[in-house]
Amino acid sequence: MIKVLIADDHSIVRAGLRRIVEESGDMQVVSEADDGREAIQRVKETDPDVAVIDISMPGLDGLEVISQLQTLRPELPILVLTMHEEGQYVVRAIQAGAMGYLTKQSAPEQLVTAIRKIHEGQRYITEEAAESLALRVAKGSDGKSPLDSLSMRELQVLRRLAMGQTNREIASAYNISIKTVDTYRARLLKKLELRNNAELSRFAMQNHLIEP
Amino acid sequence: MKLRIILIVLSLLAFLSASTGGYLYYSSLKESALNEAERQADLRLRTIKKNLTIFLAENIKPVKTLAGMKTLQLALTRPDAQNLAAANATLDHFKKTLASDVCYLMDPDGITVASTNRDASDSFVGQNFAFRPYFKEAISGKSSTYLALGTTSAKRGAYYSHPVFAENGSSPVGVVVIKASIELIESQLGTELDEIVMVNDPHGVIFISNRKEWLYHLLWKYNENSIPSIKQSLQFGTGPWKWTGLVSKGGHIFDREGNVYQIHVAELGSNYPEWNVVHLRKLDAITQTVIEPLIKTTGPIVLALCVLIGIAVFFLYRQASHEIRQRRSAERALRQSEGRYRSLYHHTPAMLHSIDPKGRLVSVSDYWVELMGYSRDEVIGHKLTDFFAAESRQYAETTIFPQFFKSGICQDIPYRFVKKNGEKIDVLLSAIADRDIKGNIVRSLAVSIDVTQRNRAEAALKQAKEELSLYSQDLERLVRKQTEEITNILTYTPAVVYIKDKAGRYTLVNTRYEELFEVRNTEIRGKTDYDILPKPVAEQFRSSDAQVLKEARSLQVEERIQQSDGLHTYLAVKFPIYDESGAISGVCGILNDITAVKKAQTQLRRLSGSIMANQEKERSAIARELHDELGQVLTALRMDSVWMHERLKAKDPASAERAATMCRLIDKNIEDVRGMAFRLRPGVLDDLGLVDALEWYTADFERRTEIACVFEHENVPRLNETVSTAAYRIVQEALTNVVRHAGAGRVEVVLKTNNGLLTLAVFDDGQGFDALDLSESEGLGVAGMRERATLVGGSLEVQSKPKNGTRVYFKVPLDGQPGS
Repeated sequence: MIKVLIADDHSIVRAGLRRIVEESGDMQVVSEADDGREAIQRVKETDPDVAVIDISMPGLDGLEVISQLQTLRPELPILVLTMHEEGQYVVRAIQAGAMGYLTKQSAPEQLVTAIRKIHEGQRYITEEAAESLALRVAKGSDGKSPLDSLSMRELQVLRRLAMGQTNREIASAYNISIKTVDTYRARLLKKLELRNNAELSRFAMQNHLIEP
Repeated sequence: MKLRIILIVLSLLAFLSASTGGYLYYSSLKESALNEAERQADLRLRTIKKNLTIFLAENIKPVKTLAGMKTLQLALTRPDAQNLAAANATLDHFKKTLASDVCYLMDPDGITVASTNRDASDSFVGQNFAFRPYFKEAISGKSSTYLALGTTSAKRGAYYSHPVFAENGSSPVGVVVIKASIELIESQLGTELDEIVMVNDPHGVIFISNRKEWLYHLLWKYNENSIPSIKQSLQFGTGPWKWTGLVSKGGHIFDREGNVYQIHVAELGSNYPEWNVVHLRKLDAITQTVIEPLIKTTGPIVLALCVLIGIAVFFLYRQASHEIRQRRSAERALRQSEGRYRSLYHHTPAMLHSIDPKGRLVSVSDYWVELMGYSRDEVIGHKLTDFFAAESRQYAETTIFPQFFKSGICQDIPYRFVKKNGEKIDVLLSAIADRDIKGNIVRSLAVSIDVTQRNRAEAALKQAKEELSLYSQDLERLVRKQTEEITNILTYTPAVVYIKDKAGRYTLVNTRYEELFEVRNTEIRGKTDYDILPKPVAEQFRSSDAQVLKEARSLQVEERIQQSDGLHTYLAVKFPIYDESGAISGVCGILNDITAVKKAQTQLRRLSGSIMANQEKERSAIARELHDELGQVLTALRMDSVWMHERLKAKDPASAERAATMCRLIDKNIEDVRGMAFRLRPGVLDDLGLVDALEWYTADFERRTEIACVFEHENVPRLNETVSTAAYRIVQEALTNVVRHAGAGRVEVVLKTNNGLLTLAVFDDGQGFDALDLSESEGLGVAGMRERATLVGGSLEVQSKPKNGTRVYFKVPLDGQPGS
């Protein structure tokens, strides 16, 4: 049995989550907390295998809880569960030390898989979250990078082109037309003074936008 | 001109005589050099002749000795082998000793019996030389010398023969001969390169010479007739004896090439009768050796002399020409000045005349007669007073003439002349007297100035002055009226008005000014701000005045003045004042009290600030409520609906489908709630700060509008909420404008801090606009941004030009942010 801690300030949400976790069969919710301070306290008391933490909580907020748990129980895998879809939160959470990130909206479908995965020591983040993270890491927190002159959408298209995706695949990923993708591609080539997708890939690699 | 020609001729003559002198000197030197050469050649000839004579006489005595040798006698008298061998030995001995060509012995028939060349191929032994004159002479008992070309040896030689007598016999038994080589002599002649030495026989055949090609040639042409006798003598081989080509002409010798030679001839000597020694020397060589040094030494001297003379002549010529020119121009000037004087008298546009002591005119100028309308004949000899008006005539005769002939001068006497046509003219006459040697006045020289016009002009001027005086009285009245009006305005206006000169000294202040600063207009004239106002006010005034003067244009500033009821704000309009020449002469200031307006403005701003702050607060609360509370509930509902869907999937597909629909509805609701909350106030801004919020917002903007949006940030610290909100809302507004109006393809949002100043810039590459052309609604957008900027203590600037994009700058200092 995987022992799970759930920290969320909404009791109905907590109840829903508990049900999802316990119906999996091999997991058990050992404790619940409705604010950050309590979450830390419960971790100390019940020694769970996995902690599921909401970012927005009164008192100590989720990000703070993660960093405190990092010093308290560095080996405890933390899954961040939140209402926020914005990539900025993902980046912060992962930077703070979370192993996984999930929106509450997708919890019914993904929560069990996510807990299992981080319990095995792997990361769990959605495609979009991974992308946000990659782009943030590539650009660096501050300072000059050749990527600075690119817009977010340009960066996204560049990354996927570099990973070898087709215009069609990229179009459907961002819900834009194939023609628009082509426009972005042409603009990227011109702006970066490159000639083809192969050079785009090399450029993306050099700037740590994709892993070699 | 003539003088100039004479000068040229003289200088030419000087030059000519110098040249002639030079030439004469040169030719006399040449003459003496040639004479010297003649003398040298003569000397040279004599030397050569002496050498030859000595040489040719050399073997005369040895041959005599040889003839006396016993062996030879024996060989001739008893010609057996032993004796012949002895004779040959003797001959060999002599040949060796004398270094002669060959020695040989002939019997009385002329046949050679013994010879030193007996073993050579051209051996003389057995040869008969009886035809040779030297043999003939010797056999007849006399010794002999002879010059000839060897018939056997074909070598030239000097032959010395002597008879050989038997021991007691008186007639010769044979002849002995020593032949010496001529080549030897020739080589010893030692002649020089440019001279030719020749020895020729009586026929003129050249036998010895340092010019080899001429050997056996005939020296002169006419000698050709004697060729048979030359041939017969066998003396010079078999010929042909050609002519050298030399011709004697006028004391000199010419050869075929046209060279000219100097010739000297001498006889060879008594042993060779009629043989001559001839010495030729090229005339060119002589002249070259003699004249070249001559030219080398005298040439430059002559040349220098010529040049010096040339230069001297040139300078003298110039000097003389100058003198001539000066003299001529002086003459011309004198003539001109005489002419000028005459012409001056007649043509001066002034009335000049002279009278004699009786008052009769003796001369008048052209202008005088022209003006008076008379011809000269009609006036000369007449009394001057005949041309006067009656009153002037009396005045002249009774008063002026007696005075003038006493003092000799009069000045500006007013007369009236009468012209021929009866018209009268006013003149002022001045005169001086011309006296003879004794001092008696002989005539006068007078000038009359026509003052008719002047008198008329004076009258007109007087009238004009009167008119002007009337006009200026009118003008003064008008000015007074207007001044009064302006003074009233200045007195009753609530505005403060002053005028100052360029140096800042007051020239005028109005009543309100007097009241405000409690001064009198009359007191402060000529004083500066510093003299009468508190220092802060004076400094304010002065600095804006100075700016007006410097920029030469009007200026609007707010100035603060402490009054008894507190600090007042004045809106001051200041403008330059120009003088007649268009230069700035001073500055005028009009100040209106806007303290009340200012206060109202500040209150409004505060109000607007607090409204905005409250709005943000409320929005934030609602957004949080929506997002956190409603959102969470919806999420929980979604969990349940998914759970239900899972449960019912197998048993009751219709209900399961219902649950799925519910789930989709809830998803849609969550999206809406999230969107609403975000639009009200993004949680990111409060949770993560401005940079993350803008990062999200620009990415979202790009996703929604497909306008590329680049967000750059640098050195941005954690900002307080008011500044973050202002910056965020400004970006929102600016980007909204971009979508609505710009038609841009790209936007850049740049956020950075530099030296405590936060700068936010939004650039687009759209069509831009004319900043003066903002419509009201657009203007409101900008005004809203500016309001937000101002409320946090910052500033907002919008730069745009048609077709050039738009730039929005928000700048705010990060220190001392207002807490509101």
